[in-house]
Amino acid sequence: MTVSASRSAAPYFDISDPAFSVQSEQVRAARDASWYAETNYGLAILRYEEVNRLMKDRRLRQGSAAWPAHNGVTEGPFADWFASWILNKEGDDHKRLRRLLNPAFSPKLLASLVPRFQELANELIDAFHDTGHCDFVAQFGEPYAARVIAIMLGIPEEEWPRIAGLSTTIGLSLGVTIKDDLPEIETALAGLYEYGDELIESRRREPRDDFMTRLVQAERDDDKLSHQELRDTLALLVFGGYDTTRNQLGLAMQAFVRNPDQWRLLAERPELGKAAVEEVMRVNPTVTWVTREALEDFTFQDIDIEAGTTIHLFSESAGTDPRVMAGGFDITAERPPHFGFGGGAHHCLGHFVARSDMSEALPLLARRLLEPRIDGDATWLPLSGNTGPTRLPLSFQQGTKR
Amino acid sequence: MKVSVDRSVCQNHGQCAIAAPEVFDIADDGELVYEPEPSDEFEADVEDAADVCPVQAILVGSAG
Ligand code: SF4
Repeated sequence: MTVSASRSAAPYFDISDPAFSVQSEQVRAARDASWYAETNYGLAILRYEEVNRLMKDRRLRQGSAAWPAHNGVTEGPFADWFASWILNKEGDDHKRLRRLLNPAFSPKLLASLVPRFQELANELIDAFHDTGHCDFVAQFGEPYAARVIAIMLGIPEEEWPRIAGLSTTIGLSLGVTIKDDLPEIETALAGLYEYGDELIESRRREPRDDFMTRLVQAERDDDKLSHQELRDTLALLVFGGYDTTRNQLGLAMQAFVRNPDQWRLLAERPELGKAAVEEVMRVNPTVTWVTREALEDFTFQDIDIEAGTTIHLFSESAGTDPRVMAGGFDITAERPPHFGFGGGAHHCLGHFVARSDMSEALPLLARRLLEPRIDGDATWLPLSGNTGPTRLPLSFQQGTKR
Repeated sequence: MKVSVDRSVCQNHGQCAIAAPEVFDIADDGELVYEPEPSDEFEADVEDAADVCPVQAILVGSAG
């Protein structure tokens, strides 16, 4: 590869170093000096403007498709499933799936679930409210995320630990030990398929007015999802929806513990729930970067990008870029859009679900858990890829009973 | 039917172009272009487009 003079002068990150953090001073300093950095896996884009443009640039494709192959997993049920992900498809294949799936994610359909989301949040808080402390991940984030999926799919909510367990195991596939973990991952995948098959079967027999039925009946211009496409998609929805929501809720609590005045404001003005979700995802997104791959050689700003180059769009670094984001953490501020849900053609399918379940949960939490503090040792996933707490002990003053 | 997109909120995600390709398109410069008075035969697709737009920028009205 030819490296132009300006490129070799760019900041450099070792993103495979477990100690590397997308929120570090190193990244802040690099963002001040340059709109991009070199890494051991391609380029990292650091500023808002450039992330925004490259996110939607059609000379780039989604960059995760090759992940299993990079790690020596080239065949078998997991490799097949990964290749089936809508996220890993491009062009007409991607459009076709998106067109078939989109109607099931209608905001209108979701609106009817809001009271159930509120009730669920209250129920979970009831269980620990009087003690004045909790492990936020185990007692709220995990059951809330898993039960929302159960509600969406019409699975009995008591089955949530199974959904959570299967998803967590499949999550191992995004780590570098994927090859060793493969047998476990494939067993979990078979578990998700089993769920999917039962659900598909039941809605074929007895259609209802719900998300699952819409998926099963999805049809456009004489085209339909095949049975395999349906079960692949369902497995992806369960897995993708669980992990990200659980992590993002934990990250939301962290952000508010650091900004107690904003927590009090949210308790007083629950209508700010939606804005709170956006603000949390701007400064503390679980998806710390989005990967793309150049489809052709092209010149962008002052550098030449070769076909095949991996490009990491740093969501949090863009979201906190002082060039466009003034002030600190403020749920009343008008902000340009963040990249917590990606963007462009691959913009997260489930974003209405995530937005609506989190914007119901956060104001209820704010009213009922006053002055939350992190009390004890929190444990965290690495600060790269998808991050979040795995344990988050909180203590708080008791607020509204219900 | 009539369609309008609030340009001040549209972020050119192009989800509308996937839902209703006859009515919405992302031009080569990355900007949204659309047909403001599409034929009624595309009504269902346009409704879907309005539904999936991540920023809910699309307004659908009846003709006349
Ligand atoms: S889906 Fe919405 S944001 Fe995206 S291009 Fe269409 S109108 Fe604009």
